[in-house]
Amino acid sequence: MTFLNPLILLGVLGISLPILAHLINRQQIRRTDWAAMQFLNRSVRVRSRQIRLRDILLLLLRCLALLLLVFALARPASVQEEGRSLLGEQRAGVIIAVDGSFSMAHGDEKATRFERAIEKVKLIGGQVTRGAPVSLVLLGGEHRVVLRNVAYDADRFAEVLAELKPGPEVMDVNGIPQSLESLVQDMDAPQKEVYLVTDTQTRDWGDVSVPTFDAIRSLSEIAAVFLIPVTGSDDNLAVTGLDLVSGTLRNGAVARYRATIHNFGKNPAADVEVRCRVEGVQIDSKRIAVIPPGTSQTVSLFVPFYNAGPTRITAEITPETTGDKLAVDNVRHVVAVVRDTVAVLCIDGSGGAVSQLAMAGLLARAGDVSDEDEGYQVDTVQWPSMPQKPFDAYDVVILADVPEITQQQSKALLDFVRQGNGLVWFAGENVKVPQWNQVSDHGGRALLPAKLGSVVDASDDLGVGKPLAATLPDHAICRPLRSLPEDLLNETRFLKRIQVELGNTSVPVLSLAGTNAPLLLEQSLGRGHVCMFTTSADTVWNNMALTPVFPMLLQQIVTYMVGREFEQPRIVGDSLSLFYVDQPDASDAVFDTPSKKTLTVPVSEHRNQYLAMLEKSEESGFYTARVSVQAPGMPVAVNVDTRESDVACMDQEELRESLQGTAVTVSVDEADLMADINVVRTGRSYWRLFMILALCLLVAESLFADRLQGRKQSKSQSSKDATPSMTLNQESA
Amino acid sequence: MSDHQAQASYLDPEVLQKLGSLELIAREVVEGLRVGSHRSQLRGFSTEFAHHRQYAPGDALRNLDWRVYGRTDRYYTKLYEAETNFDCYLLMDASASMNYTSGKVSKLEYAKFLAASLAYLVLKQRDSVGLSIFDSEVRAYQPPRSSMSVILQIEKLLRELKPVPRTSLAKQLHDVALMMKRRSFVVVISDLLSDVDDILAGLEHLRFDGHNVVVLHTLDPYEMEFPFQGAWCFEGLESEEPLTTQAERIREDYLASFNDYVEAIRNGCLASQVDYTIVDTSRALDDVLREFFHKRQEMPGGPSAGARG
Repeated sequence: MTFLNPLILLGVLGISLPILAHLINRQQIRRTDWAAMQFLNRSVRVRSRQIRLRDILLLLLRCLALLLLVFALARPASVQEEGRSLLGEQRAGVIIAVDGSFSMAHGDEKATRFERAIEKVKLIGGQVTRGAPVSLVLLGGEHRVVLRNVAYDADRFAEVLAELKPGPEVMDVNGIPQSLESLVQDMDAPQKEVYLVTDTQTRDWGDVSVPTFDAIRSLSEIAAVFLIPVTGSDDNLAVTGLDLVSGTLRNGAVARYRATIHNFGKNPAADVEVRCRVEGVQIDSKRIAVIPPGTSQTVSLFVPFYNAGPTRITAEITPETTGDKLAVDNVRHVVAVVRDTVAVLCIDGSGGAVSQLAMAGLLARAGDVSDEDEGYQVDTVQWPSMPQKPFDAYDVVILADVPEITQQQSKALLDFVRQGNGLVWFAGENVKVPQWNQVSDHGGRALLPAKLGSVVDASDDLGVGKPLAATLPDHAICRPLRSLPEDLLNETRFLKRIQVELGNTSVPVLSLAGTNAPLLLEQSLGRGHVCMFTTSADTVWNNMALTPVFPMLLQQIVTYMVGREFEQPRIVGDSLSLFYVDQPDASDAVFDTPSKKTLTVPVSEHRNQYLAMLEKSEESGFYTARVSVQAPGMPVAVNVDTRESDVACMDQEELRESLQGTAVTVSVDEADLMADINVVRTGRSYWRLFMILALCLLVAESLFADRLQGRKQSKSQSSKDATPSMTLNQESA
Repeated sequence: MSDHQAQASYLDPEVLQKLGSLELIAREVVEGLRVGSHRSQLRGFSTEFAHHRQYAPGDALRNLDWRVYGRTDRYYTKLYEAETNFDCYLLMDASASMNYTSGKVSKLEYAKFLAASLAYLVLKQRDSVGLSIFDSEVRAYQPPRSSMSVILQIEKLLRELKPVPRTSLAKQLHDVALMMKRRSFVVVISDLLSDVDDILAGLEHLRFDGHNVVVLHTLDPYEMEFPFQGAWCFEGLESEEPLTTQAERIREDYLASFNDYVEAIRNGCLASQVDYTIVDTSRALDDVLREFFHKRQEMPGGPSAGARG
């Protein structure tokens, strides 16, 4: 049992007052000599003892009544199942949490899960007493409190409910207990009830983490928690990915994108059509004959770029052909920033061989299109002529077998990368390791992803170089290589490499088979990237330049490096940031949402950079970020998190098993819910019971005392009438 | 004012002045050698004419009224009232219970005033007053005298008395009865806090000896009304076990018991032809005495009713 107003329990000290009065009364016994002791006979003495007993009984009644009164005012409440009483309070503080994740938009022909959840909420609302405290929470990635501890008003509640709708968010199950517990703690009610109306997705509730389980159990100890499932069909198709696989994002080029469609249902999906749109215009369409349940299928979508600039690309499956009931995850968005040309500066330290290979690698890919020089502008500079000034005219700088650079050059390259450009570094025979290690370090920030070591032999006993590790990570640079046949990939052999000591922020992209020694490392510096090969670009340390791997890799690296920040798709709930190189003229940036709303975000200075940050994206689609209202916009793709697309639900038994050990009540149908509410609501608060008992005791005490007093008075009156002195007076009269 | 009167502190001069117009009328005419203002039951032996009655054979010829015969030719016998003196015994209870007081004057002190006043009145009528003081036994006995010095004797006896608890009232009354040589007017002043049967037995003994008995039941008003409020511890004056209680709660029980006791004594006295009067010690002494005498004169048989012949 707990007390809602525990401080009032100090009133128990008031019990000392009647006891004190009793003791003082006893202490104040007056003494007198008495002659007529014969009339204080045995019956009077017995009666005196009875009076003492009655006094003690009255004292006990008063103390008990006072005790119960204090208990009642302290508002006792029980969180135990047992001990319920019909005198419990019907009034309860209610917290209703509705799942607002996008899986709740899934439904059938009659209604969506969310609509059925709202019906359940209305049912619960019908059981709430007018004026009782009510909180309403819309669960999602961040749980939004729609109503906080307000007095319940049915009309107002219905209006708020009508405005609720599921968002494109993923529900954060782990955050639910904490959010609800804080609401429960804030609520001042003798009995607190939490209603969680959700579709009980298996991915959320099937494997609840231990901390979350403990938090749910803790919540169920301070409030009556009801889990009300609104389940539905498991069938759902979702476009879970849209990635650039190959090609350059240049004007006039064609890029290959890969769309991934996953069947989350238990039935195979047949004849799934995938459409690709560029700036809203359908440019490609593919059909997938069958997607078995629980599997993904990918289709390649070829996107030609006819204009430079940011380009909105979408891949979607059509519900008309699939009958899919959840639309929000049927589309995937991505933005490609198409350039007219990509300027590459190749600094060659080997005397010219490497730069030619690099240029060949870049232009070989460019040669597929009409004008081989139009896509890339590749300038070659020999190492001794390496410029000291900034490299602003270029997008990517390639350092190939450069023996050393000056500290000034290193600083210029660091700033160059941090501004959003790319640096590719190749090892080689001429590289002077100590010098590079020295100039690379800029006070904790290293230009290169790793500290250089000695050159080691990577060949095997037969003198044959080792191939690339067969397992390629899911990195944007590797994606073209993943589509290569394994034998072609194995043709690339590496004889030598330079040992490296990885930095904290570096990521290995390619590794050597067998030893997993890194061949290609990548690290982000500011808004740009640095790629570092531990092998050479020429054919001395490897034969990479002679295989298709080299041009594919070089092309992809350059494409990856020139990609701007907004090309990376965001997930609903992520923040959107707009960086400024220089101090902007306008003090506010503007974000247009997919639903054509305009949000103004102030520009702030952060680490010598100016940025405007929209803290949370709430819709899926294309946002447009603008430095001012009049400025051209930069589209940002925001997609839903397709983890939520797995709409499979747990059944009642699975739920109960999953929540076993907590006091959570799973109420499936309306009858169960009403019965459970009735049971739990009649037992949690005892203040009324205590108050009634206290009043009964007070009345009993009063009647008891009055009866004693009344009897005494009536008898004394009759006795007074028969007083001898009166008799004497009557006689004399 | 004589010396003995000045020393008699019990006698309030105002009280005695008020009582001056009253006469103590004995219930019976007792035999006495001394002629007083009291009528004797034995008519014909005194010299004071009472009235005539028609002659009857056997009447003494010396009492024949010849003058009446001369005027009316009828024989009438003259009847005379003989004025006698009488002995008044004041039996005073001086047991420990008489020491109780709820105010300034205890029952014992009040009894002293009462006894002195009565003695003074009796002596003023030239009758004799005797005194007997008792508690657990007869502590003092003063034979009847007609001198005013008897009041000083009362004062002296009471001053020297050390009250002790009383065991039996009947025994003391028996003892006193044995000391009285002739039929007398006996006034018992006591709170009678004893067994009712014992009290009545003692009074009946006095009546059996032919005495005219008056009981002045001296009670404190608190004993009659029991007006205590709150917690009280009652400690007995005669070594009873003390009682601690809420007084107002037991009042009705106390009064019921007290009234039964008073009623029993009253009925017992009535049956024994004992004149019974309750004396409230809170009342003025003169009021009590005036009321007492007035009541006696109003009695159907006159002031002498109840006397034995």
